[in-house]
Amino acid sequence: MFKNRKSFFQRLGIFLAILGPGIITGSVDNDAGGITTYSVAAAIYGYNLIWTLIPSFIVLIVIQEMNARMGIVTGKGLADLIRENAGVKVTFFIFIGLLIADLGNTTTEFAGVAGSMEVFGVSKYISVPVVGFLIWFLVVKGTYKIAERIFLLFSVSLLMYVVSAIMGKPHWGEIGTSIIHPQLEINTKSISMIIGIIGTTIAPWMQFYMQSSVIEKGLKMKQYKYTLIDIVVGCVATVVVAFFIMVACASTLHENGVQINEAKDAALALKPLAGDFASQIFAFGLFIASIFSATILPLATAFYVCEAFGFEAGIDKKWDEAKEFYVLYTGILIIGAAIILIPNAPLVSISLWTQVINGMLLPVVLVCMILLVNNKKIMGQYVNKPINNIIGWGAIVVLIGLSAALLVLQLFQ
Amino acid sequence: MTSITTFYLSRVIGQKAYDSRNKCIGIVKDLLVDRDSSAHSSGHPVVNGIKIKHDKLIAFYSFQNFHIEKINGKTKVICDQLTELSPENISNNMYLVEAVLDNQIVDLNGRKLVRVNDVRLVTITNDTFAVAVDIGIEGLLRRIGIAKPMKFAFSIFGSAIPSKFILWEDVETIDYSNLNIKLSKSYAKLQTLHPSDLADIIEDLGRKASAELFSALDEEQAADVLEELEVETQVHIIESLSIEKAADVLDLMPADEVADILDALGDEKVELLLNEMEKDTSQEVRELLDYPNHEVGSIMSTEVMSFNRHKTVEDVLAELRAKKPEAESLYNLFVINKKDVLIATFSLRDLVISAPEMTIDKIMKPSPVRLYDDQEVDEIAEFISKYNMLAIPVVDRNEVLQGMVVIDDVIDDLMNKRRMNK
Repeated sequence: MFKNRKSFFQRLGIFLAILGPGIITGSVDNDAGGITTYSVAAAIYGYNLIWTLIPSFIVLIVIQEMNARMGIVTGKGLADLIRENAGVKVTFFIFIGLLIADLGNTTTEFAGVAGSMEVFGVSKYISVPVVGFLIWFLVVKGTYKIAERIFLLFSVSLLMYVVSAIMGKPHWGEIGTSIIHPQLEINTKSISMIIGIIGTTIAPWMQFYMQSSVIEKGLKMKQYKYTLIDIVVGCVATVVVAFFIMVACASTLHENGVQINEAKDAALALKPLAGDFASQIFAFGLFIASIFSATILPLATAFYVCEAFGFEAGIDKKWDEAKEFYVLYTGILIIGAAIILIPNAPLVSISLWTQVINGMLLPVVLVCMILLVNNKKIMGQYVNKPINNIIGWGAIVVLIGLSAALLVLQLFQ
Repeated sequence: MTSITTFYLSRVIGQKAYDSRNKCIGIVKDLLVDRDSSAHSSGHPVVNGIKIKHDKLIAFYSFQNFHIEKINGKTKVICDQLTELSPENISNNMYLVEAVLDNQIVDLNGRKLVRVNDVRLVTITNDTFAVAVDIGIEGLLRRIGIAKPMKFAFSIFGSAIPSKFILWEDVETIDYSNLNIKLSKSYAKLQTLHPSDLADIIEDLGRKASAELFSALDEEQAADVLEELEVETQVHIIESLSIEKAADVLDLMPADEVADILDALGDEKVELLLNEMEKDTSQEVRELLDYPNHEVGSIMSTEVMSFNRHKTVEDVLAELRAKKPEAESLYNLFVINKKDVLIATFSLRDLVISAPEMTIDKIMKPSPVRLYDDQEVDEIAEFISKYNMLAIPVVDRNEVLQGMVVIDDVIDDLMNKRRMNK
């Protein structure tokens, strides 16, 4: 009896020690862009797009598992593997796309910072420069690891969306019915919304991030089981938070016919419908999510671009040793923050184009990944099982199909 | 007549190759060079073969009858006579595209890994050599196919695209294409690197390549490098080696370092390794492994030089010459009585400046600062800063000398702690 308990605690110990890659990736996933997409989708379509979270969840798990397996077996980053096996041209296309998309993503994160702080009455001309400088300072002064842990703790507060959702008094029966029988008209708007939700849940840059953090943790095949649990927990957290954000917005905004463009609008609109507290919780969640992603995203992007093109990279390097890396990192941060400070900046089209690029990039990255993970020379005995390939290729075909459908619908309207 | 033609690998790969009657014989896929670059007197690897694809068929030909011509800035591959390479000739070579291009190689001067964007080759009369690797931005643009327009654009503003080359003699390639076949490749050039630099490079390599590179090191160097690696990499390397080879490397390392590595391995593996290691080394390691991790005994070094107080300076020097201890045990010398109880210390300086016939009890400093083997590791830092010592003797509760703690052994722990608190 006691022996059993001890071994349970031992196992828990091992799990806690390797915990991280999946859960952090999952938390970063629900960034400002994600929260915006979920709230806008729910405000327009009510409960009728919640079902998209189920296929997203399955694909997310399958993809992250492949990333983790590749990281464990090869000890190499995804950027390295793509460069070594797909050559310069493909790498160049992917990373130019990734750079532009992440610049857009970073802008969206700062929009989240600005928007959430405005709910609390702080002007964006104060909040954005302060937060931007703090993030830059935090990373360049080498306290990034600590920051990551604090943010991880804070990201538990994303579960506050559950409270926010319940305060909106949702109709649970209706939610169930719309997951099984969604009432949805097929048109440009709804398809682009579906692509948006999938694109924000499975962002291309996350694949690179996931694989690097697995390597950094020095995980081994022996710990594979725990890594898998970590991934599943992270994916569940992502989808649960997304679910409650959609419920919160659907049961209040949609039922009252309120239309929104930004996550901030959702927070403001919640005020008269669900009370001050619900509104503030929503804004606080947005703030934490934005600042967390704004820290990780520019850093990760600069790192992968340098990795792929063979420049020195890493926050442990000095400025002179890794000039390209620091210039890129600082550049992304400054441009992202500066765009927000321009009066009347076209934020809606920036976030739209970011999602389009993300959506175009995702199938390319996924195809590279599946080819890599099936390559016996790279993966040895740990190549994909048929089930991974079916889900992976299925997801690629569906994504390309959706993008093509969107294009065709747009052409004929 | 000597003709010199220089060209880039990227300019010939994917190009059509022609015979002397200007008929296409296929598409160039890869160039094969000597695996061992020191084989040729120039120190540069000679291009021996060429891989050509024609109608979905892949063939390897000798490069002897091929030559590269530049016509109006275009590079053309021409062959006078096709001679197929025999399979054993192929296997003696390294593939430039598969093993070098886009892969990481070791830059010996910069002591780090760099990624190859292109390879520069030169033909001098009949031989073609790989002379340098291109790791600069110009190489990247050339591969993407926009180097020339970009160069033109830059020249308008009177500047040039930054280009960066490393000569072949200053790099060591890691042959990724043969990692599974385990053809032996000597990494002779890596001998010149400091073990710490080599350890950093190994940590940056992928799993297979790091294991391959490590197993190519000789045992002495392997032991030095293993000591410098991070724990995760140490475990990965030990697990990738055969038990015999791993034991041989561990035999050459100080017992306390070995104990640290074994601590991170699975119990079964530890037992196998200890049984395979030499008796006296494994005995010391076992004793260290018995200490819990938080106690001083677990990190102490057991290789200490201790002497009887009645010995003369000359005796001690003779003994040191015979035993040839490592530097750290040489600088810190201890005096013990018949029951091995620690009574004093003396330094190498004291020894060297004293007359040969002087006895040790005349030069020793009695009642030394010491740690107990069951004391907490955390207390070492205080001792070191308080007494300004580079090494502190460790005794058990009966005052019997067990080993010593050297500042090197605790500095990593201390630095980690500071980083955590930052």
